[in-house]
Amino acid sequence: MNAPADFSVEACGERIARWQPRINAFVRIEETPRGGGAGRLANLALAHKDMFYRAGQVSNCGSKIRRGWVASETSTALERLDAAGALQLGTLNMSEFAYGPTGHNDHWGDCCNPWNPDYITGGSSSGSGAAVAARLVVAALGSDTGGSVRIPAAACGVTGLKSTWGRVSRAGAMPLSHSLDTIGPLAGSAEDCARILQVIAGFDPKDPVSSREPVDDYLSGLAGKGLRIAVSTSWIESNAHAEVAAAVLGAARALRSGGATLVEAEPPDFDTLSAHCITVLQSEASAQHAPWMRERPGDYSAAVRTRLEAGFAVPAAAYLEALRLRGAWLEQFCARTLSDVDLYLLPAMVVRVPTREQTGPRGGAGMPTLLAEVTRLTRWVNYLGVPALVLPCGFDSNGLPIGLQLVARPFAEATLLRAGHAFQRATDWHRRVPPG
Amino acid sequence: MKSWNPEAVEAILASQGIRLAPGRAARIAAALNASADLADPLLGALEFETDPTAYALALSRCRSK
Repeated sequence: MNAPADFSVEACGERIARWQPRINAFVRIEETPRGGGAGRLANLALAHKDMFYRAGQVSNCGSKIRRGWVASETSTALERLDAAGALQLGTLNMSEFAYGPTGHNDHWGDCCNPWNPDYITGGSSSGSGAAVAARLVVAALGSDTGGSVRIPAAACGVTGLKSTWGRVSRAGAMPLSHSLDTIGPLAGSAEDCARILQVIAGFDPKDPVSSREPVDDYLSGLAGKGLRIAVSTSWIESNAHAEVAAAVLGAARALRSGGATLVEAEPPDFDTLSAHCITVLQSEASAQHAPWMRERPGDYSAAVRTRLEAGFAVPAAAYLEALRLRGAWLEQFCARTLSDVDLYLLPAMVVRVPTREQTGPRGGAGMPTLLAEVTRLTRWVNYLGVPALVLPCGFDSNGLPIGLQLVARPFAEATLLRAGHAFQRATDWHRRVPPG
Repeated sequence: MKSWNPEAVEAILASQGIRLAPGRAARIAAALNASADLADPLLGALEFETDPTAYALALSRCRSK
């Protein structure tokens, strides 16, 4: 089934009313959409993860602790979307404090996958993935600290861009791990991601780590061919589920048919890089949450409390060692894996989309291993701080989407979007919408 | 190095004012011991003068031309 073309407020509202009881993507639906007007994104129907602050409005951050908390400032990303004339139809469900990769939420209810509500949406930008997949909005902002844009994009079958660390201002967005946090769009296509990124990217004096690197013209950069793409075929065949491997390697062949050159490459040391990511993430998230963890630990879900507890035991020297090594690992990735290519291609997840039960409190002894598999190919990207794009590239035998991931050098979002656009001109996976 | 045990974890968290949920100390100790076993292949070559801010320079150096 192809995507509906009508993204008027009325059409979106009708779809939201129909889908919301099944997928719980929204935590608030505006009676009258906010914003709108002239601009690059004139009256484009958007909604955003409930962690982008808007002055005078509630941002619950997926939590009990911040339920009803009213922001005193508006995030830079929302200010820029407002200035471009975009509409905001509401705020979207998310994992508690963006600290979970599945979309479970004890406080606001699980967000459910539109392709099958028994399956996870992925997290933490769960509502963003689900709302875009069901075509409730054109696009949505998410945040990505360990995969939180890319995992929902993969699981829900939409396009998601994790930006370079510092490319998009985090001012006025809920922090989780300042060394890793990034913001990016989820949308129905790479082209729509480019439209959103064009507006939100760029230096912001309110975010001290935002970059002064020039912002490319992402839309005009969509044209062009001749990309060189590295892939580790045997690693994918050995480590990914057979259906995932077949879809992702099929996507690589489709890119080659469209003019790209494929080059075999040794895979990066995913597991060491992921371990460093976890060290940094746990340390910074726990420091961020220390006051609440001392005063009201019972107000966190068991899963998030467990993750936060672990961070208090990470030795300071281990945390700083991981950060000291970060630049060397980035240079090695660019010098080896990307030495004579533009992009590195791999799956978004090595496993098929799991069910909510498999990855929830009743998941049993295999649950921690399964969760580690879900994030195995995303966290290393956050540690390096490089950009990555996830695109739908097929479906598994359960009828759930499979995601392709492309990774590039710092600030090479234009290259990612060009490759994604070329892939989506040659395929129609991104046009599939869930029935109903 | 297998230096972590549940009692040590409980003591370190308690010193920071963190009350552990029941049964958690053993799992955290096991995770810390596992991560202590990881040997980073780049660590030996890391220059003494390298600090975390070197990452910002690497980001700029590695950007596409």
